[in-house]
Amino acid sequence: MDSSPILAVRGLRRSIDSGTHVVDILKGIDFEIPRGQFVAIMGASGSGKSTLLGLLAGLDTPSAGSILVDGVEIAGMEEDRLASLRGQKIGFVFQSYQLIPTLTAEENVLLPLELSGDGRGGADRARRLLETVGLADRLDHYPVQLSGGEQQRVALARAFVLAPPILLADEPTGNLDSTNGRHVLDLLMSLNKREGTTLILVTHDRSLAGYADRVITLSDGLVVADELRETPALTYDR
Amino acid sequence: MTGNFRWRTAAKIAWRESRASAVKFGFVVLAVAVGVGSLTGVRGFSTAFHAMLLREARTLMAADLSARMFRMPDAAQLAVIEDLKKQGVRETQITETLTMVSSPKTQTPVLVSAKAIDPAVYPFYGEVEFDPPAALATALTPEVVGLSADLMMRLNVAPGDSIRLGGMDYRVLGMVSKEPDKMAGSLNIGPRLLMSRDGLARTALLNEGSRAAQRFLFKLPPAGTSGAPGVEDVRQRLKKAFPDAMVIDFRETNPIITRGLNRSTMFLSLISLIALIVGSIGVATAIRSHLEQKLDSIAVMKCLGARSGQIVRIYIIQTLALGLAGGVLGALLGGVVQLAFPFLISRYFPVPPSFAWDGASLAQGLITALLATLLFTLPPLLAIRDIRPSLILRREMSDGPRRRNWRSAVTAGAILIGLGALAAWIAGGKPMDALQLGGYFAGGIAVALISLGAVAWLLLRSMKYVVRTRALPSSLRHGFANLYRPGNQAQAVLVALGLGVMFTVTIYLVQRSMLQEMAASAPPGMPNVFLLDIQPSQRDEVAAILDRQKNLAQKPEIVPSVAVRMTHVNGKRVEELDLKGFSRRFLQTRNVTWSEAKPPQTTVTAGAWWSSNAAGQVSIGEDAARILQLTPGATLDFTAAGQSIQARVAAVHRSDAIRMGATADFIFSPKTLETLPAIFYGGLRMPPTEVPALQRTLYERFPTVTVVNIADVINTVQDVVDQIALVVRFVSAFAIMAGVVILASSVAGTRFRRIREVVILKTLGATRARISRIFSAEFLVLGATAGLMGSLLAMAFSNLVLIQFFEGQWKFDWLPLATSVALTALLANAAGWIASARILGQKPLEVLRAE
Repeated sequence: MDSSPILAVRGLRRSIDSGTHVVDILKGIDFEIPRGQFVAIMGASGSGKSTLLGLLAGLDTPSAGSILVDGVEIAGMEEDRLASLRGQKIGFVFQSYQLIPTLTAEENVLLPLELSGDGRGGADRARRLLETVGLADRLDHYPVQLSGGEQQRVALARAFVLAPPILLADEPTGNLDSTNGRHVLDLLMSLNKREGTTLILVTHDRSLAGYADRVITLSDGLVVADELRETPALTYDR
Repeated sequence: MTGNFRWRTAAKIAWRESRASAVKFGFVVLAVAVGVGSLTGVRGFSTAFHAMLLREARTLMAADLSARMFRMPDAAQLAVIEDLKKQGVRETQITETLTMVSSPKTQTPVLVSAKAIDPAVYPFYGEVEFDPPAALATALTPEVVGLSADLMMRLNVAPGDSIRLGGMDYRVLGMVSKEPDKMAGSLNIGPRLLMSRDGLARTALLNEGSRAAQRFLFKLPPAGTSGAPGVEDVRQRLKKAFPDAMVIDFRETNPIITRGLNRSTMFLSLISLIALIVGSIGVATAIRSHLEQKLDSIAVMKCLGARSGQIVRIYIIQTLALGLAGGVLGALLGGVVQLAFPFLISRYFPVPPSFAWDGASLAQGLITALLATLLFTLPPLLAIRDIRPSLILRREMSDGPRRRNWRSAVTAGAILIGLGALAAWIAGGKPMDALQLGGYFAGGIAVALISLGAVAWLLLRSMKYVVRTRALPSSLRHGFANLYRPGNQAQAVLVALGLGVMFTVTIYLVQRSMLQEMAASAPPGMPNVFLLDIQPSQRDEVAAILDRQKNLAQKPEIVPSVAVRMTHVNGKRVEELDLKGFSRRFLQTRNVTWSEAKPPQTTVTAGAWWSSNAAGQVSIGEDAARILQLTPGATLDFTAAGQSIQARVAAVHRSDAIRMGATADFIFSPKTLETLPAIFYGGLRMPPTEVPALQRTLYERFPTVTVVNIADVINTVQDVVDQIALVVRFVSAFAIMAGVVILASSVAGTRFRRIREVVILKTLGATRARISRIFSAEFLVLGATAGLMGSLLAMAFSNLVLIQFFEGQWKFDWLPLATSVALTALLANAAGWIASARILGQKPLEVLRAE
């Protein structure tokens, strides 16, 4: 296995110029994440968690510093190349699911394959993933016809369809009740284990962070704790 | 790899989204359809209308072309006519001559203008009517003649009586009540006598040396006949073969009709184009608001690895499909417009309803729809590139004001050039004129966009200060603040609305000015009765009789006429001038007039009219000035009744008046000709039914004064002008209505962003009345500003168009300005309300659940 880190962040800063004043959201962040690690990023509201996640995914451009994704510098990379890189290397799970409302469950899962120009061969994998998340009978349903838990499970299938080396999850259970939240988390962990993905989870839920190999805590735009656990406080077994 | 994102997938997403937004897209399709519908409909109809006007113009000369000369054609000239006939051109000859006629009842001979025609062929257009009714082709035998009403009176004859002409007896068929080409002849100074050519041949009137005019009328084969020569081709061949003849075609029969035709065609093209552009503005605002709603989907797709190009592909497919659907629907709508217009105006004049759906105009409609839609939606489509995927994580994240880069400038340039080219293509006509129009259009839009953008920016900035005024009611402050809050499309709506107002008001202003100008050039007071040969001693009494007439449109005109011959131009003998063909008429003795003030329906095009009591000055008609190469300051020498007269050219004028006796080529200042023997000519406009009574009165008192009644011809001219005016009004009203609907929708398009706001306000306890006040303040400011800017720009743009293309003059008028400001404010308010009514009625929880 490649021993180089899948993600490396050095001197990362992000400021927003609102026109009248400049707000520093991230004030200099450094860390490396090895392959296959499950990292939870924690912090209070406004600490800079989501901004950091956006920067790691190349959804946003840093004001300073560097971000290496699988050895490739993405800070300052051109927008369309970033999009391609995301398609190949990064899967996403959002708090509010973010399915395309006009596509069916199956079509939503197929979308990343089609965007990468590989739509034809992926139908089987999409269907298998939807079976894995328990939605084999919901392939032709539109998002509006699915419950919140079901929508998030479709989003999970979509995130894994290209077998990305990195999966970024932003409060994936934040909009779900505890039963559905638990179910989605179970699926996320099992898929992560099966696919050997590096999982980076943004949450303010301590119990959720308890499953992680490592917990990075942010406060006021800085890393205030970086806790590596030999054994996660909570172990996942199913 | 990502480039392989299949068109099929893009089309699928595009189709699904369209299905989900059926109502909104239904409107987009309608907006394009209205534009294309007016383009194809108005064009199709104006083609039919144009054809009808040309038919009327042909009626006024009874042919497509005519060649007039004062001698019989030679063998070579006859061969040219024969050649034309072989190509399907029909020809007939008319001979006109002055001669004396007498009747056994009066014995006094009367000078008449005899016109000999071939009744089997003449006229090619229009009809000759007799009273009592008789069919020209069979009734006008060599033994009979038709007489004008005044001639019958002078000769004291009735139908069936006999008269004597050229030593032969003829029976009177009846009164000639209608003669299409009455004004087209050259020897019209006497009352009319109409006879057949065989009838004229019975006399010895056409012996060598007699002064007879020959007029050859030609009718072209129907358009589209294979191998048929065109009007310009025939005209050139005739001009070459008959250098001494005056060759004219139906397009130049009457200056008023010709100008009316050219202007109305230009105007109708302009309106179609504007309708399409206003439609496209509607599409652009609809697509923009659609994309605003799709921000999340677009950001998600970008997160999932979609390149901007792939997403743009989806929305280009969507836009083109909408444009195409609109184009097809528009073509159908155009068909309905084509059918409906003639029906609407059938009360006033007959244009047969017809579908002129030729492939070319249909293709033009569709291509224009696609191009206009694409051009106008280019900015929102390209803005897709700027949508950041991070939007999905933090909606409020912003890098401050978006920087405009060179790409925006290139896009704007491409759109303007595209619009200019489209305008040039639609305007058609001569390439240079079309390009010029295209340039004005693109320039007009550029100026409008820049100034509207600047004003919108200023307004939004100033609103920040206005809302700090605590004295304002809080709902007003909230409404004003809405204009500049993040995510508000105020700037875009203001620009779209302002642009729409500009075009709509331009249509109104150009239309109004054109109608005013047309009314001025064809006033209802134009003479329809002319009095010839009034002696100076009779002048005052004739004037008194005319003044006693009732129902006169304006004061009767009595002008003097003096026969003069030009001898020198700028000191050079006229015989030495290089005058050819019909221009040689200036070598002969001509009747000229004098006038202290500028006569009505006369425009000075160069120099200036003289002040009273000026002597030795002359104003020259445009044609004469061109042929003789005269400009103000030139000197002319004339001879008349043994006297020499010198005059300086003070002005060059254009006259739209129809006069008899004295031509309008030379109008002298009063003192120049006063010692010469003059004869007077009169002109007045009166109801056609009262003309015979005036004829009787004048004949009884002054038997030598000839009364020429051209009421029917003048009616034809007036009808045509009225028809043009009517069509211009109809088409403008249609385009303005379409504009209003589309503008209303650009305001209505902002309703989606209001849903959340309304819900939150309601949740926080705001009453509907309060929310109404907030939105009213916002809509009224938007509407009034767009109305003011749009109508100011329209003033400038319409003046530019009027001056450049319609020979108009700069005008500024407050009333339409104020009206359009008020109307736009009200329209914006009403549209905003109609669109938001449903949102206001919704329960907050319905929306919050859906969030």
